[in-house]
Amino acid sequence: MKPFRFRATVNGRPVDLPVDPRRRLLDVLREDLGLTGTKEGCGEGECGACTVLLDGRPVNACLVLAPEAAGCDITTIEGVAVEGRLHPIQEAFLEAGAVQCGYCTPGMILAAKALLDKDPRPTDQAIKTAVSGNLCRCTGYVKIVKAVRLAAARLAREEGAV
Amino acid sequence: MLPPFDYHRPASLAEALFLLASLPGTKKILAGGTDLVPALRRGDLSPDHVVSLSQLAGMREIKEDKGFIRIGALVTFSRLAEFPLFLKGPYKLLAEAALQVGGPQVRNQGTIGGNIVNASPAGDLLPPLTALEARVRVCRQGGERVLPLAGFLTGPGRTCIHPEEILAEVDFPALPERAAGSFVKLGRRNSLAISRISLAAIVIRGEGGIVEEARLALGAVAPVPIRARKAEALLRGRKPSPALLEEAVAAISETVADSLGDRPSAPYKRAAVRGVAREALIKADPRFASGGC
Repeated sequence: MKPFRFRATVNGRPVDLPVDPRRRLLDVLREDLGLTGTKEGCGEGECGACTVLLDGRPVNACLVLAPEAAGCDITTIEGVAVEGRLHPIQEAFLEAGAVQCGYCTPGMILAAKALLDKDPRPTDQAIKTAVSGNLCRCTGYVKIVKAVRLAAARLAREEGAV
Repeated sequence: MLPPFDYHRPASLAEALFLLASLPGTKKILAGGTDLVPALRRGDLSPDHVVSLSQLAGMREIKEDKGFIRIGALVTFSRLAEFPLFLKGPYKLLAEAALQVGGPQVRNQGTIGGNIVNASPAGDLLPPLTALEARVRVCRQGGERVLPLAGFLTGPGRTCIHPEEILAEVDFPALPERAAGSFVKLGRRNSLAISRISLAAIVIRGEGGIVEEARLALGAVAPVPIRARKAEALLRGRKPSPALLEEAVAAISETVADSLGDRPSAPYKRAAVRGVAREALIKADPRFASGGC
C-alpha cells in the first residue's frame, strides 16, 4: 500500500510523516509520535480512553483512520500542560482524587477540556454529558465531576486575574 | 493494522462517483468511520477499496430551500444537535435524536448518511426521519435518484443502495409553525446505549386546537422504522387530552404487539412502549397531560 503523507498539527507542532493509510490515528500517535498518553481501551469507540481533540472536538482516535485526520489540529494529553506546568484541569483531577487506576484519565481530561473551552461555567448535567463517552472502570465519576467543577472555578479565576 | 485495502480520498463528489464506478473489486465508503473502522478491524468487512468522503465539504451543509430542509449526508450528529433550526419547534425531534446517539466522541464523527445506510433497526435518526417523511438523494456516475426513506430501508442493515452509489443528501418538507416534534428513546443506560424502543412524534395543530395530523414513527420494534398508523388515525381531528393520550398509547402498544408477534422481546416492549409513547406525546403537545387548549 502506498504510504499516505500525513501532515497535521499535533500539540501545536507541525507533523509531516508517511503513514500506511490503514493505520488508525491512535496507532500513529502512540507508535510513530511516541504520544503514549493516549490509551487504547476497547478499540471500538465505546470507552473513550483514546479520546483526543480534533480541531477542538473530542473524538475516539481508535475510530479515525490516520489520513482522515490530515490537515487537522490534534491535541493529545501531552499537549495540555504548558511548559511543564500542569493544566488547571489536571491539577483539579489530582486534588479532587479523580484519578484511581488512571487509564481513563487522559480521555476524561480532554473531554473536560473540550467542554470548558466552549462552556466555561457548565452545569453538573453538562459535565456529565461531556464525559458520558468516557468509561471509568474504577467508577470514580463523582470525583471526576467534582474535579471538572473545581477546574471550571479555577479557570474562571485565572481569566479574572488576567 | 487493518486488513489490506486501497485507500482513496477523492477531492469531489464527481471523482468519488467515478472511482466507485471504475474501481474493480469490492468497495466501502468511509464517512465518519464510527461503524466502518471497527468492522474493518474485526474483519467483518474486507473490501478491496475504501473510498473516503472526507474532502467533500459540500456534503456537510444544511439548507432551507423551496419548502424543503436539506441535510448533507456528512452532517454529524453533533452538528444536527447544535443547528439552530433544530433547537426548537417542529424539528426538535431531530436534535433530540442526534443527542441520544453514542457519546460526544461518536456524535462528533458519526454522520446522518452513515446512520441511514447502515440501517440499524435501532438507528436513532431513522424514526425522526420517518416521521418527517424524509427522502434520500442517491448519486451515481451520470445520474441520481430520489426516493422515500421508507422505500430505501429494506431490512436490518439493508438498503437498496448500489455499491457504485453515494447517499448525498436527505431532505424533508418544511413543517408549519404550529407543528411540534419530540423523540424519546429507551436504552439500558443514558449514554452509549443501543435503543430498545424509540418513538418520534410530530403533532400538527389545526383550527380549534384539534390535532390536524399526527405522525408517529417507532424504532427498534421492527426490521425498519414503522408508523403507528392506528394511533395516528385516532388522533386526527380530536383535541389532545389525558383520555385521548391513553387511547393513543393503547393503539401504539397494539402496533408494537402486531409487529413483534411472539418474539422474546415482545412482552417487554409492548408494555415499555406505553411509557415511551406517553412521554413523547406529552413532549410534543403538553395538552396530552393537562387537557385545556
